[in-house]
Amino acid sequence: MFDGQRWAAVRAAACLLKGSAMKYKSNHVRWLALLGALLLMLAACGSDDSDASDDSSADVTSGDSTDGEGASGDSNGGSDGNVLAGVQDAGVVRCGTRDALPGFSVLEDDGSHVGFDADFCRVIAAAVLGDAEAVEFVDLETEARFTALQSGEIDVLVRNTTWTASRDGVEAATFLQPNFYDGQGMMVATDSGIEDLDGLAGAVVCVAAGTTTEGNVANEFARLGLDAPEIQSFEDTDLIQEAFQQGRCDGWSSDVSQLASLRSDYPDGPDALTILDVVFSKEPLAPAVLDGDSEWAQVVNWAIFATIQAEEFGITKANVDDFLDSDDPSVMIFLGQAGEDGAVVDPGLGLPVDFAYQVVAQVGNYGEIFDAHLAPLGIERGLNQLWSDGGLLYSPPYR
Amino acid sequence: MNAAQRPPPWRDVRVRKWAFQMTVLIVVLIAVLYVWSNYQTNSQASRVPTGFDFLDQPANFPIAGSDFRTTQPVKDALGVGVANTLRASIAGIVLATLIGTLVGIARLSKNWLVSKAAGVYVETLRNTPLLILVIFAYLAVALRLPPVSEAATPLPGFVASVRGIGVPWYRIDGSGWPVAGVLLAALLAAIAVRRWRLHINERSGARAHTAWWMAGTIVAVAVVGQLALGTPISGSLPRVDGRMVIGGAVMSPEMFALLTALTLYTASHIAEIVRGSIQAVPKGQGEAASVLALSNGQRMWYVILPQAMRIAVPPLANQYLNLTKNSSLGVAVSYMELTKVSRTAIANASPAIPMLVVVLSMYLVLSIAISLLTNLLNRRLKVVER
Repeated sequence: MFDGQRWAAVRAAACLLKGSAMKYKSNHVRWLALLGALLLMLAACGSDDSDASDDSSADVTSGDSTDGEGASGDSNGGSDGNVLAGVQDAGVVRCGTRDALPGFSVLEDDGSHVGFDADFCRVIAAAVLGDAEAVEFVDLETEARFTALQSGEIDVLVRNTTWTASRDGVEAATFLQPNFYDGQGMMVATDSGIEDLDGLAGAVVCVAAGTTTEGNVANEFARLGLDAPEIQSFEDTDLIQEAFQQGRCDGWSSDVSQLASLRSDYPDGPDALTILDVVFSKEPLAPAVLDGDSEWAQVVNWAIFATIQAEEFGITKANVDDFLDSDDPSVMIFLGQAGEDGAVVDPGLGLPVDFAYQVVAQVGNYGEIFDAHLAPLGIERGLNQLWSDGGLLYSPPYR
Repeated sequence: MNAAQRPPPWRDVRVRKWAFQMTVLIVVLIAVLYVWSNYQTNSQASRVPTGFDFLDQPANFPIAGSDFRTTQPVKDALGVGVANTLRASIAGIVLATLIGTLVGIARLSKNWLVSKAAGVYVETLRNTPLLILVIFAYLAVALRLPPVSEAATPLPGFVASVRGIGVPWYRIDGSGWPVAGVLLAALLAAIAVRRWRLHINERSGARAHTAWWMAGTIVAVAVVGQLALGTPISGSLPRVDGRMVIGGAVMSPEMFALLTALTLYTASHIAEIVRGSIQAVPKGQGEAASVLALSNGQRMWYVILPQAMRIAVPPLANQYLNLTKNSSLGVAVSYMELTKVSRTAIANASPAIPMLVVVLSMYLVLSIAISLLTNLLNRRLKVVER
């Protein structure tokens, strides 16, 4: 009784199915026909799928021609492999940081991000977009940082990240000019009377999980031939602090800059903690971008060099405008200003010619950024001085 | 059969059943293929390794509470993680079953205070997120134990401090194989004695007392073995040595926190299962037991509980699975179980997605093993229907 008109539309849609089914008398053949039709659909969907991926790789090749890397860089979360173009289109740099590292990046009550790493995100934004505030800060846990980079959730990672060979390789990250040369140290309670690593043999050392820190401690004690301490690694710093206060561990190991910042925040006052005078690892903290887009890597690199070069020239946020008519041609080239004959040097990095000016005018030079965020924690310049002062900061020339 | 009498295919029940299932299957397959190919394409494009070679790479991190060396491969680290997961899970399952059964029975008590106290316990713990319980047990209990220099000894042989909680344990000197051999011999002897007692019981009607006889046999064989092998098993008491608690069996505050939270939380669920199962035993069974002049304890032990157990086993199995999987919350307090070890490995340059695949399959194997064991138990307890 339902046969006929009411089902006309359905019947029309299923004409192929019905047509083939009606031809055969046997039920089994009908089943086979149905199965066959569904398989055809699957095959059709399958080939659609491969067509789509062909299309996208074609896009990548055409969009990526500037750096000659072919189809290698198409993982920037939907943009077509050219991160610089993607950033310029979006008008914002997505920068991976951590909201709870005093001195490096802290989320303030008013929603602003304050710190050394946060300022280097601004440096990149000022260089690429001419606007230091065009940064989207992405808060990343230690374990999530490389995944965020690989998935294209962020454009650049400036998050206290040590440059190591295996991260360069396995994590598919390209590390750039380190913005902070750090080293791992050890902190103990002042009243424990421990003065060196010997005093920690067979003790308990707490470290933050998800870093190279755990391995470094174990390797250092092995190198010194001391009894290995028990190394207890915690997921977050607040938990270590609580555990340390309750006497769970004798030592607290992290990068020296970190220890200084944690010590400054310690509930019992900074004097309750002593940072031992040992540094047992090299920890160059460097910004990282994803492998496969060397143009973007260069851009980030030169933005960081700009802060170093500015300090070398003595250019600060306050006096940068005085340098706009400098007699020194290399300063004029650095700031992207026209020389005596009205010609502007464009190094062809894909950046505005005055990117260094924007960096210094909006954020400041390396020394200013350091003094604003790290000096108050009691961290000394140490290795992070200009090469001319005996440090490691050395910028290639801007010409 | 005339083709005209059959309904058209879109109304034919048999066709519709098939078509629907095939469609679902195909959609699922397409979704899985899409996700997999997406992952492969993106990983290759960004040159992230996708294989499992990393398992043989040196781990380069230590594991607290084990003698794992940083130069050992990642797969050994995962092995330590699985061992720690099993340790917490097995201890948790045993303790939660004991506490849960007692609380479940207590909830049915006619004593007002006992039943209300059990009710409060169940309702508070059952309605609290486990993660909060774990963190609470760590911050508010485990870390508040006295510092190691002032370690408490609540009972002789027990040590409690923030560096670890020590209980008396045994120690095997030399190889464990002879000891294992003696234990096996004791077990076989006990089984033989049981058969002998049952045989006597059938012949003469004298009570078999199999449990006593078996226990006695095991103890006797074990004592003889211990003397014959030159006392390989000795007791070991925990003590504070410098900055650590050593000897005995020492539980780290992290494991203590995880185990306490897992046990109390799961016990609250098990209590409800036990209560429900007891109430599901027909009332007439208890009344019949009373008529036969069994005491309250005897009624519970011989009549009600054996029948309740049959009902309880399948949902209990579920709780055991949950407990095992929930042990991954050890991450929150840095207990080095499987999930925590894998996270540490990922942070030390093991690729994230292949590592997660490995960890997922390990949890799958653990869960399937527990399922098999409980299914076996269920089959044994099942009412034999004729």
